[in-house]
Amino acid sequence: MKFWTFSLLLFCTLSFTSCIELIDDIKINNDGSGTLKYTVNLSSSKVKVNSILALDSVNGIRVPSISELNERIADFQKKLDAKTGISNVIIESDFEGFIFKLRCDFTSVSALQAAIKDVVRDELRDKNVPELDAIWLNWDGQKLVRSIPEITVKKTTEFQQEDIALLKQGTYTSITRFERPVDHFDNPSAQISANKMNVMIKTNPHALSQNTSLLDNTIYLTPLK
Amino acid sequence: MPCPKTPPFWTTQSILRHSSKIRGNFRIFASQSVEPYKVIRRPHFQLILALLFLSSALGVTGQSMTEVTPTTKSETLIPRDAVTVFSLNNISLLQKISLDDLVRYEFMEEVQQELFDGSTTGKTLKDSGIDFNQKLNVFYGKGQNYEVSGFTLGIKDKQDLFVVFDDFEKEEDLYPGVEFYSSYFNHLIIKGDAALLVRVEPNMDKIDEVTDSIWYARGNENPYYDEAYGDFDLEGEFEFEEMPEESEDPTEIELEEDEIEGDLEEENLLEKNYYELRDSVQVMLEMQYLSALCEELFVDQINLVNSDSRFAEQLTHPSEGIFYLDNSRNLQKAEGMWYMQTMFPSLFEDMKELYTGNVILGDLILNQASVEFKMEVRYGEELGSIYEKMNDSKFDKDVLKYIHKDNTAFFSYNVNLREAYEQAYKVIMPILSSEKNARMSTNVLTIELLNEFINKDALFGTYKGSMFGTFNGIQKIKTTKIEFSYDEETFEYSEREVEAEEDMPIFTVGFSTERADIPDKVLKHLSHLTSRFKNMGTYWVYERAILDAADLYMINANGLFIFTNDADLAMRHATGYGKEALSKKSAKRAKKSGFMYAHIDWARAIERFPRDFFSDRENEIIDAMRGKTGTMELTSSKTSKEKTNLSLVYNYQGVYDNSGKYLLDLLNSIYVISK
Repeated sequence: MKFWTFSLLLFCTLSFTSCIELIDDIKINNDGSGTLKYTVNLSSSKVKVNSILALDSVNGIRVPSISELNERIADFQKKLDAKTGISNVIIESDFEGFIFKLRCDFTSVSALQAAIKDVVRDELRDKNVPELDAIWLNWDGQKLVRSIPEITVKKTTEFQQEDIALLKQGTYTSITRFERPVDHFDNPSAQISANKMNVMIKTNPHALSQNTSLLDNTIYLTPLK
Repeated sequence: MPCPKTPPFWTTQSILRHSSKIRGNFRIFASQSVEPYKVIRRPHFQLILALLFLSSALGVTGQSMTEVTPTTKSETLIPRDAVTVFSLNNISLLQKISLDDLVRYEFMEEVQQELFDGSTTGKTLKDSGIDFNQKLNVFYGKGQNYEVSGFTLGIKDKQDLFVVFDDFEKEEDLYPGVEFYSSYFNHLIIKGDAALLVRVEPNMDKIDEVTDSIWYARGNENPYYDEAYGDFDLEGEFEFEEMPEESEDPTEIELEEDEIEGDLEEENLLEKNYYELRDSVQVMLEMQYLSALCEELFVDQINLVNSDSRFAEQLTHPSEGIFYLDNSRNLQKAEGMWYMQTMFPSLFEDMKELYTGNVILGDLILNQASVEFKMEVRYGEELGSIYEKMNDSKFDKDVLKYIHKDNTAFFSYNVNLREAYEQAYKVIMPILSSEKNARMSTNVLTIELLNEFINKDALFGTYKGSMFGTFNGIQKIKTTKIEFSYDEETFEYSEREVEAEEDMPIFTVGFSTERADIPDKVLKHLSHLTSRFKNMGTYWVYERAILDAADLYMINANGLFIFTNDADLAMRHATGYGKEALSKKSAKRAKKSGFMYAHIDWARAIERFPRDFFSDRENEIIDAMRGKTGTMELTSSKTSKEKTNLSLVYNYQGVYDNSGKYLLDLLNSIYVISK
């Protein structure tokens, strides 16, 4: 529990005062299976992160060592890998550049959501996290309805004015990939790749915290041949 | 008339009367999962906080008072156990700050609320019954068995005083002319025109020791071992178990009731459990220690003033405040000294002797545009002989070359480590050698052999002991970061390393050395170990040495070995700043000072504090101090065998009526943001 409290604190502290880059990249195959990639890039805040890791505690919460963090990450990986419909879970942790990458394959978007909810609830040791009840991915073979889980931006509403300015320097990139061309999509901020098979929306954590529906998108695909 | 010796049971009755309250408090805090240590200290902290505000306030409220010689002076109620005392000379203070100014401060609201509850609406400090012609003395002492803290003050009107201290309940008076009142852990004791507000807290180690002794003597098992779970409960005794979910099956409820009955049969309800026993021990020890303190103060008439002439003399100073810290008693009663006292009793006595007379005396002086804190560090002759030799060092003028004229803060420290070592060897080795103990003899032999075999010329030539340091705010330093670039065709992304900038505090620390060849040898060999360590000609660099991001530079020149993360200093000023170095005037002040000198440009330091390296809370405090200009300067005298004088002067600029007003502004700023 302390680890996750710290992780949340670390994330918030970094979000407050540092530049953070987040990339969520999901590929949906025609059969509904796919691959999720999630990247957290803190390399532009190396000094800040290193200075936190050099401390014993931050605001009274113990700062874990890198080996402890590695253990927890491995534990998270193991738990996620054990979930039904989830396979090939890989987490790459670079504690020099502070870049963390998660990659996993899933058999269906519902299996992916269920697995993430289970693992997060387990880690938080709190079965009652209403934000996790939401469905943020829905695939019917023809269209994908996606948003981002509210829990990921909930904390940002508590930020102070000067921290918000720093949040604006960060980036959040959401990419959705398909096996066949996209016909059209709802979100006017989204861009489509030249090969018509990928949709990307870029924003910053602050804008996202102000409007969690910024990344909401319904993407319609061309009919399956 | 001599006071009759009275049995010290008043405290027993008093505390037992309040024991239900005390336990109630424990339960409340326990239910909030707060450690008992914190339970005790929380109100204590509030008290001291209020007191600090009050102490600032006290000096301004006595304008209409007539001076009457009190029958009992407030300082005569300071217990002998007080190791640290801060005494405010109110008369002197009140000449400098007006009450009207004071009541405008936000922190005064808190003081008023702390002292006056709902029944005293509309009252102010003026109505508190406190005699502002007497000194206010804040004290603290920590011994091996207990801590004592509190303050003493003069009383002008007792009736008014109890309008303020209305939580205190009257206790039985057991000493003639002495009245006792209590409120939870605080005790208000009034004698004549003075009052002592005191709290005595037994040390937790002592409480545990006595509790364990009683617990095991009763034949109990380890209290931290829970047989039901076969596990040790080391997380904390006040952790509550989760409530089981309600069961609708009546058979389950019956079973649970049966289990409870079984448990009750096994457990003797008339006997306290470990934690209840510990609570009782704590209360009894507090009573015992408080009783002993009162016996000494009111029967034996022993207090700090008549038991330490240095403190008595310090009280006669006309300054706004005086400070007293008896370091020798800190050493003797330090919990860590218990081992030495037990294992090496004669060595402990010798060390005690060595530290005899080690005391710090201070004066706080408020001037028109400055606040001055003068300190006199006194010590015994033997320890003084070591300090004298150590501080008898010539100022190393070369350090001035490396202090920029626009620095934010710098310090210099000049000591002669070789002389100090030789003198310490002469003084301390005979003490260690006289200890008849196998372990100590081995240690002494090791030290003597090292003394013979080690090349002291090389050792103390390399590290002479003198050093300097500078802080130059923050600078952008070059780092690298990973950037993701996206392919327009597929939105696939690839990583690339690009240059970036981050804030870093810029510091320089240098040591005087006569043996530049030795650090050079070390650096040369380190460069063989890693390619990140490089010789750049006039300086060395260890790439990404600081927080894996900033380079650390080393300069070995001019009889100095310098560490810095200031690239400009290393690359362009490896032989010194030349004309950009510290001004002659500032350099002269540093040279004239004794073994230590420090200078801070307060406004610049505040502006240049690296925000990223402080918490939000700390940044708020720093922000509150912005706009406060001035310089802070620490100087020291030449060290003699008896004493060293230190002076800390805070000169400020800006339009202020007096320094007291400036201090209150600062205090108020901190209060407002910490609310």
